[in-house]
Amino acid sequence: MPDLTGFHPDSYRDCEVYQSKIKKRAIMFRNHIKIAFRSLKNQPFFTLINTFGLAIGMAGSLLIGLYIYDELSYDKMFADAGRIYRIDMDIKFGGAEIKSAETAPPMAAALQRDFAEVENTVRFRILGSNLFRSSDKSANIKELSTTYVDATFFDMFGLELIDGNKETALKEANTLVMTRTAAENHFGSINVVGKSLLLNNEDTYVVTGVMEDLPKNSFLKDYSIFMAMAGNVASRENIWGSNNYFTFVKVLPATRMDHFQLQLDGLLEKYILPWAQKTFPGMTAASFAASGNYIRYHTIPLTNIHLHSDNQIEMGEKGTIQNVYILSFIGFFLIFLACVNFMNLSTAHSLKRAKEVGIRKTLGSNRIQLIVQFLTESSLISFASMILAVIVAFIALPFFNDLAGRTISIPFTEPLFYVAILLFTMVLGLFSGSYPAFVISRFIPVETLKGNGFKNGSKWNIRSMLVVFQFGIAVFLIVGTLVIFQQLQFIQNKDLGYSKEQVLVISDSYAAGQQVNAFKHEVLSLSAVKSATLSSFMPIASARSNSSFFREDAMDQKFAIQMQTWDVDHDYMKTFGMELIAGRGFNNQSVADSTATIINESTLTTLGLSAQEALGKRITEDVELGKPVFYRIIGVIKDFHYESLREDIGALGLFLNKSTGSMAVKLQTDDFASAISSIENIWNEQAPGQPFNYRFMDDAFDTSYNEERRLGNIFIVFTSLSIFIACLGLFGLAAFNAQKRTKEIGVRKVLGASVSQITFGLTTDFLKLVAIATAIALPLGWFVMNIWLQDFSYRIQISWEILAFAAFLVILIAILTVSYQSIKAAIANPVKSLKTE
Amino acid sequence: MITIIDLEKYYATEEVRTIALNKLSFKVREGEFVAIMGPSGCGKSTLLNILGLLDDPDGGSFIFNDIEVAGFNERKRAELRKHNIGFVFQSFNLIDELTVFENVELPLIYTGVKAAERKERVDAVLEKMGIMHRRKHFPQQLSGGQQQRVAVARAVVNNPKLILADEPTGNLDSSNGNEVMDLLTELNEAGTTIIMVTHSEHDAKYSHRIIRMLDGQKVTENILADYKSSVAP
Ligand SMILES: Nc1ncnc2c1ncn2[C@@H]1O[C@H](COP(=O)(O)OP(=O)(O)OP(=O)(O)O)[C@@H](O)[C@H]1O
Ligand SMILES: [Mg+2]
Repeated sequence: MPDLTGFHPDSYRDCEVYQSKIKKRAIMFRNHIKIAFRSLKNQPFFTLINTFGLAIGMAGSLLIGLYIYDELSYDKMFADAGRIYRIDMDIKFGGAEIKSAETAPPMAAALQRDFAEVENTVRFRILGSNLFRSSDKSANIKELSTTYVDATFFDMFGLELIDGNKETALKEANTLVMTRTAAENHFGSINVVGKSLLLNNEDTYVVTGVMEDLPKNSFLKDYSIFMAMAGNVASRENIWGSNNYFTFVKVLPATRMDHFQLQLDGLLEKYILPWAQKTFPGMTAASFAASGNYIRYHTIPLTNIHLHSDNQIEMGEKGTIQNVYILSFIGFFLIFLACVNFMNLSTAHSLKRAKEVGIRKTLGSNRIQLIVQFLTESSLISFASMILAVIVAFIALPFFNDLAGRTISIPFTEPLFYVAILLFTMVLGLFSGSYPAFVISRFIPVETLKGNGFKNGSKWNIRSMLVVFQFGIAVFLIVGTLVIFQQLQFIQNKDLGYSKEQVLVISDSYAAGQQVNAFKHEVLSLSAVKSATLSSFMPIASARSNSSFFREDAMDQKFAIQMQTWDVDHDYMKTFGMELIAGRGFNNQSVADSTATIINESTLTTLGLSAQEALGKRITEDVELGKPVFYRIIGVIKDFHYESLREDIGALGLFLNKSTGSMAVKLQTDDFASAISSIENIWNEQAPGQPFNYRFMDDAFDTSYNEERRLGNIFIVFTSLSIFIACLGLFGLAAFNAQKRTKEIGVRKVLGASVSQITFGLTTDFLKLVAIATAIALPLGWFVMNIWLQDFSYRIQISWEILAFAAFLVILIAILTVSYQSIKAAIANPVKSLKTE
Repeated sequence: MITIIDLEKYYATEEVRTIALNKLSFKVREGEFVAIMGPSGCGKSTLLNILGLLDDPDGGSFIFNDIEVAGFNERKRAELRKHNIGFVFQSFNLIDELTVFENVELPLIYTGVKAAERKERVDAVLEKMGIMHRRKHFPQQLSGGQQQRVAVARAVVNNPKLILADEPTGNLDSSNGNEVMDLLTELNEAGTTIIMVTHSEHDAKYSHRIIRMLDGQKVTENILADYKSSVAP
């Protein structure tokens, strides 16, 4: 009869042997853990420093890890995100190259029509902040981020409506879809389909849909109201020269993007040239290229936009991959520092245990067992640290979010999180335990029993190298922090060419309608007000577009000037304290001034004229309608920084036109509060029911450097953490060193060494290492931070003072850390220390 | 050279108060070789620490070279010590991380001797002790007898007037021990005062006088050899 169970007597015995083997292993394992616990308990100082240091390092890197995970997750939640691209454009048309995420209105239609691979397209035309009033309310509420969008929006990004029909929503002009939060703000409910809203006191819009708030880690996160593109007349025009539409395409699966690119390159010939020839008859691809101009379209994957776009203007908040790299670097080194501490302290401590190891070895313990014993210890510490780290990270998270400007949470419900964290902990435990385990298990019994774990002589051991490494990182991070803050300081104090102090900007002054001039007039009559100006253009980084201009005597595309055109009133320059270097300012009495312009110095350079030569010359905008309007240059204004200091100052022309978007008020009082309340009173009289929003120019300026400031703050926190961890390690090491050298110190004292000589000796041993670290890290920090500074057109020089200060700081910290142990060791009574022998 | 009168030293631990030295008095003249003997725990090492200015007595008087030094603070004692006293210990107390040369050089560094002169003097002493060929070695690479010779070299390199030795042969076999005793005798004959604690009657015979102690007090004194002071008494 065949044996169906598959067992013979023999295999049964095998099994038994196997089981007893497992049992034996289990007992061994338990034994290892027991001994590990005991030995950790016997060395509370060492265990505490190790656990604490590792926990801090882990908590720091956990936070950074979550931050990076969040940065990398941008826009990945959209259905088909992998197939969505945006059409970007590099354009040079006279002047400087512009990198733009916005393209022309007919682009989307052309892609749909001509490209077989295109499944869908959608365009956004950003409207910025607008005032809305619901039919139930009397007051306006401001929405900061609104946009026109094509009706394909929902299909494109796989978005659903909570209320309304996504097939028909946004098809008709004057319809809009709003987010849940916006609906609640305006109506106090989300069942609002069919209700109407008044936009900027003028146009009525009907709500056709309500959607969930958009994900925090998406380019749409700030947007709350989407209005039907049908209401935007310009979106239907066949103009290839104005680029104001963010255009996304979804391609079919398995589309070859290199093919796609070739077709994009063909657009120039097919559409742009025929269109441009209306203005410049005879223009050809060759003549266009020969003049040094170009228009290059390319695609950027949706999921790359957040970190990889280098366009001046983006729809959402821009992150940079550089910051992700910098933070990964910091996170990695934080954890590495903590591991180094562990290795250092464990090996230092092993000297104390050398005798134990020697005895164990003589008694027959083999090397593997010893290694396992030490690894068990390090794993226990690693696990304890991880638990502590998660608690610390959890407590620190709100502060971190504040610092980083994010809304990250610890994914406690995500099983993958636990897997990752456990794996990480194990790797860390084994990694940090491996070096001490290896070193200790190598001890030769005879030597260790003699009481000396290590051979004499070699002072340049791995432990010294690790200390050098730790402090090198600390120095590097200090240099980084100092440079970032000095650059921010520099930006803040830079002479911008205009005065941003004491300037109050009242936004949405257009809401006062016809009364806006009366409002300005009344405000000017206040004694606290020196000057006031109405304009939609404020000298601060913001989304603005360029236009092409031509000199009257050189109406050739070769001489096109890309220039910003700002509509201002005659008080503009006075209010911002801008300086004329030639000519005169606007006169609001002069009719001729309505066709006059004041250009900045950068425009002079592109025109190739001196200030005096430019006066009286006329320029005209690139219009295809044949009958150009000429503007006479009546003045030249000193360059002022109106974009971020990352950019060079571009060409700019001021035009005397009614533009009532905001009103800037220059105050001449220190009592801001009462000045503001007087202005608010006037506003409420002139524009009843309209929100009064204001901010100070210098605050607005500061917020445009938020990303840098965040980076600076993150740097400060993690630099401090890494210094703290390094010092913890140094402190522990100094303690063990002093302990190990008790006898030596005693002998030296007997031979006549003074307390200060001993302290000095013990301290300089460590300082030498720190000094080496500094010498290596300073040039490195200088080099890397110079790369970072390249991003700014206007930047500081890294001075030797910064480097000296970093060196001074780290050495001071090291001295303070070490000297406690050194002094303690130096004042000990030699009679006692020699007695312990 | 040394006069102690009613010297007292107590050790107060948690429960017991030990009287380590109990009104101990004696004199040591310049150039003398004195051995101190007594059972374990009778206070010999305590006495030597006080004589070596490593520790301060709790009572009584200690006159060193006509100066009352009882009550001196740590800094003053250290100053006096490094110029006048050399130590030899039972456990050698060499610094493991330093070579033979560097170990012997240490006292000269602390008394501020210039590098060139240090080298000369250390070499001279090493030559005299017969360990010149070992000058680059580390203590762990030497035998016990060699280590103790290095310790003696280190004790005398500063030309101290007084050498204090606490069981210098305690860790050595008899032939190595005899060598060390011969060295000390030589030094004494050259004029150095020596006070040595020992358990060995054999070693004690090298001295001029044996002071026997019990429970922190002197019990007897045997004069072994005629001692003629180089200085008028
Ligand atoms: N630091 C101390 N704290 C408490 N008691 C001490 C201390 N040092 C010495 N004693 C006690 O003082 C007494 C004298 O000790 P000492 O070391 O002088 O003895 P000893 O004569 O040198 O002994 P041995 O021959 O064993 O070296 C002993 O009872 C000892 O226990
Ligand atoms: Mg003793």
